[in-house]
Amino acid sequence: MLVFAISDKGGTGRSVTSSNIVYRRALQGQDVCYLDFDFGSPTVGAIFRVSGAARGTLKGGLHRYLEGEIAEPTRIDVWVESDRDALRSKPPGAGQMVLFPGDEGGAEFPTFEGEMVERCVRLFAKLQEQFDLVMVDLSAGRSHAALLALAATARLPKIPCRWLVFHRWTRQHILAADGLVTGTHGLLDAGEAHGHHRALLADRIRFVRTAVLDPGAAELDGLRDTQKTWLSEFDRELRELASRHGVGRTSMLGKVPLDPVLQWREQLITDEDVQGTMIANVETVVAFDELAKKIVDDAAWEGL
Amino acid sequence: MLIMGEVRTGLLQNSAEVPESDLSSVLGLLAGERVRISRRPILHALSPDLLTGVDCLLPSAAQAKIRGVGTVVSRCSITGGRVVQSSSYVRVTKAETGHRLPWSHYLARPGVIEVLGKAAAADLADGFLAFGLPGEHLDVGSISDRLMDTVQAAESLDRASPFRSTQTRLRWVAASGEPGVRFVLGEGVERRVRITYEGEFSTAVLDLCEDLALHDWLLTTLLVIVERARIGAAPRAEVSARLAPAVDALLHLWMPGARIHPSLAPLWESLELAPGFTRQWQSLVERVRDQFAVNTLALLLRETNPV
Repeated sequence: MLVFAISDKGGTGRSVTSSNIVYRRALQGQDVCYLDFDFGSPTVGAIFRVSGAARGTLKGGLHRYLEGEIAEPTRIDVWVESDRDALRSKPPGAGQMVLFPGDEGGAEFPTFEGEMVERCVRLFAKLQEQFDLVMVDLSAGRSHAALLALAATARLPKIPCRWLVFHRWTRQHILAADGLVTGTHGLLDAGEAHGHHRALLADRIRFVRTAVLDPGAAELDGLRDTQKTWLSEFDRELRELASRHGVGRTSMLGKVPLDPVLQWREQLITDEDVQGTMIANVETVVAFDELAKKIVDDAAWEGL
Repeated sequence: MLIMGEVRTGLLQNSAEVPESDLSSVLGLLAGERVRISRRPILHALSPDLLTGVDCLLPSAAQAKIRGVGTVVSRCSITGGRVVQSSSYVRVTKAETGHRLPWSHYLARPGVIEVLGKAAAADLADGFLAFGLPGEHLDVGSISDRLMDTVQAAESLDRASPFRSTQTRLRWVAASGEPGVRFVLGEGVERRVRITYEGEFSTAVLDLCEDLALHDWLLTTLLVIVERARIGAAPRAEVSARLAPAVDALLHLWMPGARIHPSLAPLWESLELAPGFTRQWQSLVERVRDQFAVNTLALLLRETNPV
C-alpha cells in the first residue's frame, strides 16, 4: 500500500509522525519503507539517525533517480545503518525498514514531465512488490512532488493508496488543512486534473492531528482553573470549526498528543525512550501504534 | 569470447497463479512474435527475444575505458504462473575495425557487442561481477529491470500478490574451457556465477543461469518466509498463517535442472553437492510441513480434550 504524508503548513510534525508510524508498522512485523519526497529539505535521515544521509545522500537519492540520472535510488537499511543503538538491531519478528533519502543539495522540482511520471510509476510499482507499506513524505504545501505523486498514482489504479493530511490543532492549521484538500488547486482539484476520480480520491484522504493538547490530561493539573476552562472551551470551538470544514472526527484517522521530545528533537520514539529513560510519554507511542494499524485497517477508511 | 548477463527473478504480481491462457498476453512484449509455452514438467512460458542497441563503456575492474558497440538480447519467462524472470546477455567480441560501423552491421549480429580497442576478458568479467563500478557502464541489469516492469504492469495482472518479496539479481559470466560452475551468494540480493562450458556457446548456458536464478530465488524467498513466521516464538495459528503463502505459491515449483540441456546437467549436479540447493530446500519444506502437522495435531487435541 502507498501512503502519502502531506501538510499545508510546515512545522506540523508531518515527517516525524509519519516516520514513527513507519517504525511502529515495522515493529508490528510488516515490511515498510520511507521515501523522502521533501526534495527542498531532505532531513529524514536525521529522524532515523542515519549519519550518512542526515541532509540527504550524496550517493544518488530519489531526486536524481526521478531526474533520470541514475537507474536506482539509494536505499538505506535502517536496522543496519542507523547510529542509534536501539534501532541498530532488528527485533525478532519485525519487518524490513528501508529509507529512500533525497539528495543532499537537492531542490524542489520547478516542474515535472512525462518521463519523470513514468519513473515514479515504476518506482512505486516496484516498492509495492516488496513492501507492505510504502510511506511517501511530501513537502509542505502544494508542491510539484505532490502533483507527481497524484499523476503517478492515477496510473496505478490497482495499487491501494491513501493520503494523510497532517495539521496542528489550531484555527489556522484546520483552515489550511481543509484548503489543501478542497481549495482551488488543492489535492482534489489537482487529482482530478491528473486523472483521479474526485469522489474516490476524497475517500482516500484522512486527517491526522498533531501536537494535540488534551484538556483533560493529567499533566495539565498544574494549570489554573481559568486556564483549564478556557482550554476546554477553545477545544470545543476548534472541534466545531473542524467539523464545519470537513476536518472533523469522521475524516480524522488519529491524533498524536503533544510530546516535549517531539517538539525539541525530531526522532523515532523507541520503547527505551518510554520505559527506560522515560523522556517520552507512553500515550505518544500508543497513538503512533494505533495510527500504524489504522492506516491499513479498511474499516477506518470506509466511504464518508 | 566472453559472455555476460544478468537475470532478475521475482514474484509475478498477481493474486492467483496466472493460467496458461493468459501467459501469452502477459509476455506478448513483441507484436507478431509468439510466446513459447511448455507444460512438462512445469508450466513455463518464454517471451520472444528483444534487442537493445548500445554504444557505451564496458565495466572494467582495472577502470580502463573500454568502448563497446552492439546489441543486448533480453527475454522474459514465467514459471508455474508465479515466478517471473527477466534475463539479458551479451557476447563480447573484438571489433575488426577501430571505429563504429553502420547499425546494420550490429543488427546482423544480435546479442554481440564489439569492443573497439583492447580489452582483456578477465578484466571485463571481474568488472561486470563487481555490480555497479563507479561511472556509467553497460548495465544489462537495467535492461532486464525495465522489461520486468513492463511484464508486471500487464493489463491482466491484478498487482495483488499473496505476499511481499524481493527480486534477486544474478550476474553471470561464461567462457569456454573445462566445464565448471561457481556460485557466490553476495550481500543482499546479489549473486555471482562463473561458468565454463565445452564447445560453442549456445542458449543452453542461458537456460542454466535462469534455472539457477529461479531456484536461488525460491530458496531465498522461502527462507525469508520461514524466518518471519517466528516458529516457536509466535502462537501456532499465527505461524501457520504466515507459512501458508509458501504452501500455496512456492513449494511445488522446485524442479532443479528440469529445463537444462543434458550436456550441462553435471554443472547443476556439482552445485547440488556444494552449496547443496536441494538439501537446504528439502529441510525447509519439511520444516514448513511439520509446522502444519503439529498445528493440526494441537487443534485436534484441543477439540477432543477441551480445557
